[in-house]
Order: sequence, then structure tokens, then C-alpha cells
Amino acid sequence: MPKIDGSPALRGGGAARSPRIANYKIEARLDPVRHQITASEILTWTNAGQSEVDTLPFHLYLNGFKNDQSLFMRSSHGVAREAHATDTGWGYVQIESVHVAGVDLTAKLHPLASAAPDETVVELPLGQPLAPGATVEVAFKFTAQLPEVFARTGYKGDFHMIGQWFPKIGVRVGPPGAERWECQPFHINTEFFADFGTYDVALTVPNTYTVAATGVLTNAVDAGRGIRTLTYHAEDVHDFAWMADPFMEVMSGQAKLVDEGTVEVRVYYRAEQREFARRHLEAAIGTIEKFSAMFVPYPWPIMSVIDPPVDAVAGAGGMEYPTLVTTAGDSVFARPGVRLPEYVTVHEVGHNWFQGLLASNEAEEAWLDEGVNEWADARVMAELYGQRTSMLDWGGWQAELGALRRAVDGGTGDSPSPIATAAYAFVDSTAYGEETYVATMRALQTLERAVGSQRFAAAMKTYAKTFAFHHPTGRDLFATLGSELGQDLTWFFGPVFHEVGGLALKLRHADCKPAHAPRGVFGDGSARKTVTELEAPDSGTWACEVVVQNTGPIHVPVDLELKFADGSSQRLRWDDRGTSTWERFAIERSSRIVEVWLDPENKIALDNPILHHYRLDGEGAAALRTGAWFGSFAQTLMQIVGP
Amino acid sequence: MPRLGLGDLIGAGPRAVSRYTGTLLTVFVTQSIIAAGCMIAVALVLAQAFSHLPMFDEAVDGDLVALVYCLRYGKPSLVATGGIVFGAIVLWQLASWFLVGGLNGVLAQRPEGRGETARCFGASGATTYLTYARLAMCSLPGWVVVLFVFGTCTTLVSNRITYALTIPELLGPLVIAALPALLLLHFLWTVSDYARAELTLRHDTHDPGVVATYLRTLAYVIRRPVTLVHGALGWLVFALVTAAYAYLAQGHPMYGAEGAVTLFVARQGVSLLRMATRVGILAGQIELGRTRPLPPRRVEIKVDPKS
Repeated sequence: MPKIDGSPALRGGGAARSPRIANYKIEARLDPVRHQITASEILTWTNAGQSEVDTLPFHLYLNGFKNDQSLFMRSSHGVAREAHATDTGWGYVQIESVHVAGVDLTAKLHPLASAAPDETVVELPLGQPLAPGATVEVAFKFTAQLPEVFARTGYKGDFHMIGQWFPKIGVRVGPPGAERWECQPFHINTEFFADFGTYDVALTVPNTYTVAATGVLTNAVDAGRGIRTLTYHAEDVHDFAWMADPFMEVMSGQAKLVDEGTVEVRVYYRAEQREFARRHLEAAIGTIEKFSAMFVPYPWPIMSVIDPPVDAVAGAGGMEYPTLVTTAGDSVFARPGVRLPEYVTVHEVGHNWFQGLLASNEAEEAWLDEGVNEWADARVMAELYGQRTSMLDWGGWQAELGALRRAVDGGTGDSPSPIATAAYAFVDSTAYGEETYVATMRALQTLERAVGSQRFAAAMKTYAKTFAFHHPTGRDLFATLGSELGQDLTWFFGPVFHEVGGLALKLRHADCKPAHAPRGVFGDGSARKTVTELEAPDSGTWACEVVVQNTGPIHVPVDLELKFADGSSQRLRWDDRGTSTWERFAIERSSRIVEVWLDPENKIALDNPILHHYRLDGEGAAALRTGAWFGSFAQTLMQIVGP
Repeated sequence: MPRLGLGDLIGAGPRAVSRYTGTLLTVFVTQSIIAAGCMIAVALVLAQAFSHLPMFDEAVDGDLVALVYCLRYGKPSLVATGGIVFGAIVLWQLASWFLVGGLNGVLAQRPEGRGETARCFGASGATTYLTYARLAMCSLPGWVVVLFVFGTCTTLVSNRITYALTIPELLGPLVIAALPALLLLHFLWTVSDYARAELTLRHDTHDPGVVATYLRTLAYVIRRPVTLVHGALGWLVFALVTAAYAYLAQGHPMYGAEGAVTLFVARQGVSLLRMATRVGILAGQIELGRTRPLPPRRVEIKVDPKS
């Protein structure tokens, strides 16, 4: 029998940290053979707005896996990351009954008509409107059929990862008095948005199963006949997920926080993945400690990291829930020093700040969680594993996470949608991934390097502290950064987040000519005079011209470094705020320019840097060395096919 | 004819290499010229794309991030480079039919003196060129079978490769995936080598047909496993020399012009050693080929149009 967690659901106990609008009591029983959950749920929901509510919408996310007509299946084509839906592993939620204040309203529950044939949102008209400040209790009985896992939730063999499995109410958003429901159908690109509350969940499972869940374990009862009931309690969270598997082992550690509190960190893994469990544990502990120092202290006493079995990781790995994440990256190729397992754990645990604590609207502004998290991950990975080696330090190869991500994910401006696009409105998942994750990271890194790392980090800390548990928006982030950094940043945020095309910075032209006094014909009539080379010889200096252009919609100030043939260098600056697409520099020096380097300190993460550094005279040594390598390689192949 | 053992085949190698060093060097220089051409062509393509971009220098010096940027930026150049390498190998393949024919002829006829050796090399290479080309066509179905075997074995273990967490877990399936195909490939290569030897040895006396020779040689190689063992030893030496060079070169990036020269010399030395090994194997194959039962003599029937 698992040990009860002795700690309160919030670290140190104490008052509520969030407006507890949606509170759930759920009793669920898992049938691991049929991969089905039968459950009852009581939702206590408070109308925290200033307008009446006459309908309650609910997410039934599992209906996204019901058939190929759902929005999720149509938008994903049955593929999520690299996992594929199967023809036999469909999933759904069947509502057996729903009662409000004791009245059976089952017949009134209907799918959202505008989303037909999708059934992932249902609406429940209330008999009487719910006044502002009033509370309603909704009681469900439902059956959740888990799909074979390919997109976060489901089963694979005996492994069950159970997320988005219960009827979950939408969120009231909008100005006071004019609130509306935010309850979007489930799309491949949309993740999850819900109100904070408390969860009391009793899970009945076979007693051979190991369970990990959101929150703390408050009770464990042997119910006889080979089953047990485990009760979990969580406070100030907006979701409840759990895992059940008969083969999992557990490895534990403690994260020590700046406020001298500790967090119990547990990694759940199968025996064959033990080598990676230690790496995930250390990464999770480091992440909790660093994020707590960078933003706000982690408020809960526990963090569970699930390392899915290798045949389930493509579907179940790499997802975040409050106090519980699934990781990934275990592979024979992820040798120590190839930090893919660590990176996934850092990323998913990091989500507990941006998705867990701040809880922005993932459907409308996914970048505010994913991209901001990517920016933070790069910093934390550098602190944990070294600036130059944060992602890779193996076999003589080294790479920093942010730099490698930017290089691998390609240039900016390729996507037809800007960063601040609703997740469901991107042309495809590739564009969603590029803009939401990497482009946002690039944008924040560029701003960070422009204003200074410490100042930017302090501003982000203020943002996190101000908006923890309050569902911030992009506007809130921009306003906070502008205010904390003490400057109007609309010239940056507007084009970077709302325009397509990126930054296209390059050297248009650079050359030098010998300088001399003016030559030619001067004056008229009797005063006309011709000045030739003899009268105006070369002065011995060089008149140089450098033209830089930026044809993208995003404009940021650019430093230039010019290197001259005599070994000297000169720094210039183009203070580009969008008023011009090019700038000319005229320089007279005693020797000619040999190199031009735009952004030599690599502050501008928003552009592909390969064209930023340019040699005026070509140098073929590297090409020759590479040619020699290919020649040798070709000769080896020749000797294999013939003598 | 005395039955030759493995020791005899191995011993034939150093004797042939020391006796016909000039011939070996001729073949080697030809190969090196093609490789040098490949090197220059690739260098020109890459210089065209990257000579003004210092990031390429960083990539060549081992900066992984710079390498990724250059690979993305210079895709057309990479494709061109691949084409040049492929073209060099195809050119060598075409040239090797002449060169191997010449080598086999020299090893078979054992000429004396430079002039005689050169005449023998040229005549034999020219005489057997088209024959060897036809033999290469004849071997094609075998390569298709190799690919099929490789594909089938890989599919059988693909899940185990995908889900491998440790090196032992990976090596097992990799061996299962590759070994059958490699063994079959080795068998077919040995058959081709001995078929070439037979076509050279018997060209003037028996003028054997290409397909018939190939099929007879298939049966011969199965009956005489020493052929496979001898060939495998040659590949083992080839692999060891390559691995030894790779191990010694690790951590010695050879920067600058001096480094480039040292690198060139070292690599050519390795290539020459490997080629000498191959020539030694060919010599053993010729010696064993001499002891094979003679093929049927092709008889020409002349029909008198008047009768």
C-alpha cells in the first residue's frame, strides 16, 4: 500500500492562493482490461463574473478520439508528433446522467451545435440563470473510454496515462458585466484552459497497480477483492491527471527552495529505464529550484514525473499537468551529455509555472505558455549544465540549447502566421510549433539581450508574481515588461508578435576605394579648371562605404563591427526602429575593410545569423579542407566497390 | 593441380604486391586522381557558397550550431557535393573494369619487366573490359536480393531498434538487421571476383560465356568455403586499417596548410595500404582460380551457305 503524503496540498498550508471557481469531487474506478473508467463527479462552480449565466459548457476532450469526424482527428489527420491513431483504439466520454440541484437535466445536455459533428464541447442549459456570485452544483455520472494513446491520454498495454478524462467546465472571460464563455472544441493545436479550484479524487484500481496523480495522497484503503482506493487532494490547480501502471518503480528526491521549503520529487519509471530515471530526477529537482528562484516559489509540496514506457512515449510523453508531468527522450542515443531527456523534463516541469501557476489561455495565446517557457528553459539549462554545453557535451561536440534550437528550427519569417495567432488558427502544426515555441523564444531572447539580461529577468519575475493564479494575457506581459523596463516597447512587440515575415538583416554592399581630393572639371568659362590624377593623387587612405538592409517587418537596433586589413576594428550602430529599411555608413580609414559583422554579440536571436558575418575577400581554406574530407570519403567508397 | 589452402592464398598476396608494385601504384594513382578531382570539385562548389561566410569556417572547425546553419543554408551545395561524390564513384566503377582486368591479367600471366608488364596490363584490361561490364550487369539481380534481405531483416527488428535504451539492446537488432545482408553481399562479391578471375584466366583458351561463368562460379564458391574465408580476411584488414586511422586521427583536427598536407599524406597512406590488401586478395584469387576445373570450350560451328 502506498504511503500517505503527510504534507498539506499547498506547501506550508495556508489560505487559498487562487480564486477557487471550479471545485471537483470525483470517484473513479479503472477497468484496466477494457481501459475504461466509470466515475461520478460533483462540480461546484461559482459565477465569479458580473453577468448572469444560463448555460454551462463542458469540455469532453476524450470525444476528440471518438471517430474521424471530430475536430481533433480532422485537424491532426490521426497523427500527433510522431504517434499515430489506431483503427481499434478509439476513445470517448459517455455522460450517463447529469443533475443540477437534484434535477435530472440529462436530456437537456447537447453538443455544441456550431461545432458539429465534433462532440468535445457540450452545453447544459440551466433551469434558472445563475446570478453573479452564486454557486451551482452539477453532478455527473460518466464512463470514460480511454483511447490507445497517441496524443497525450490513453493506454498502451498495461500503461494508462489519464488526462482530460472528466467533464470539465469552461472559463468565463471578458470585461466585468460582459463576460462570455471560453470553451473551445478540441483541436490538434489547442491545449487546455480552466479555472483554479480544489480537487478531491478517489481512484479505485487493482492493488497491483502503481498510481501517480495530481496533488497529495490523503488516504489509501484496501477495498478487498484485489482492488484498492487511493484518494488525492489538490488545491489551487486547474486540472487533475493520473497514471496507473503495474510495473512502475519510483525514485525520489527533494528540491530545496529559496524560502527554505522543500518539494518532494518522484520519478515513475519501468525497470529498463532506471538509468534515465536518475537523470530525470536531477533535472526535475534543478528545474524546481531554479524556476522558484527566477519566478515564484513552487507552491505545491510534490512533483511527479512519469517516464512512460518506450512503446507509449511517442503518444504519452512530453506533457504537463499541475504537479505531474510526463517526460521523454530516453534512448540509446541519449548518452550522458546528450541532454534530450533532461531538456524534456526541464520543459515540462517548467510548464508548472506558465501553464500551472499563471494558466494563460492556451487556445488563444499558446505562445504565452510554450514560448515563454522555452525562453526560461534555455536559461535554466544553461545554469544547470553550463552555458556552452547546456544541450550537448559529448564526443567533443558541444551546443547551447537556445542556439541549437534556433539553428535546427530554421529561419524566422517562414511561417504565414505571426506569433500571436490563436492556436487553432495556424495553417498547420508546423507553423504552430515554429511560432509558438521557437519564434517566441527568439523574440524574448532578442529583447533580453537588447535591454540586459538581469533587468529582463527581473521584469519577468514581476510578471510572474503579479499574475500567478490570474490567467494573464499577452497584453499583461507586454504592459509589465514596458513598465518594468521603463520604456515604450510597442515598436518591438507590435511587429514581432503581430506581423509575418520576421527580420531579414543582411549586408547589401561594402567596398573601399582609394581616397583622393576631388578630380574632374571645375568652374565655368575662364575659371574652368581640370583636376587630374596628377594634381589630386591618392591620399593613401581609403574611402569605404557599407550599406546594411533589413527588408523584414521587424526592426531592431543593430551593432556593426568592421574589421580592417591592418587588424584594427570599428564599431557602428544602426538604431533601426522601423523608420527605414536600409542604412549607409561612410568611413575613411588608413586601410580597407576586410570583414563586416552585423550583430557581433549575437543579440538578435530573431534572424538567421549565417549572413550576418561577411568576408569581403573570399577565403577557400575551409572549403578545401572539406573537399579533402569528401575526397577521402569518396576514395574509401571506391575501394569498397572496386580495388 | 595441388589443392591450395588458406595459407597459400594469403602468401600469394605479399609476393604479388612486391613483384608488381608499379602496377599497384598505377591503379592507386588513377584512383587518387579521381579522388583528387572529387576533392577539387567539392571545394569549388563549397567555396562558391561559403568563401565569404566565416560561419562556414567555424562549422568546419567543429562548431555544431554553425554546422547546422550551414547545412540549412547550403542545401543546394550539399546536393551538388553528393552528386560529385556519386559521380566519382561511378567513374571509378567504369574505370575499374579496365584496371581490374589489367591487374588480373598481370597476376595471371606473370610478365617480366616493366615494358612487358605494361603491355600485358593494357591488353588484358582492354580485352576483358566489356566482359567485366557484362558480368556487372549479370550481378545486378544479386544486389536486389541483398537489398530485399536487408529491408526484410530491418523491418523484423525495427521496433527493437526504435525502443533500444542501451548499447547491447541496440547492437543485437542491428546485427540481425545487417548481418544476413552483409554475408550475402560478401558471398556475391566473392563470386564476382572469382568470375572475373576465371574470365581473365580462360579468355584466350576457352572464351567462356559471362552468365555461364557466373553460375559455375556460384557453385564453385559454395563448394570451396576457403574462398569466402580468404575474402573475409581481406575485408577484416580493410576495416582494421580504417578503424586504426580513425582512432589515431581523433583529437588531431589538423588545422592550417601544414595540417592539410599532413592529413593528405596520412589519408593517402591509409588508402594505399588498403589497396595493397585488395591486390593481395586478388592475387590469391587468381592462384586459386588456376586450380579450378576448366570450363567447357566454346565451339564455333561454321555453316557453309552453299550446302
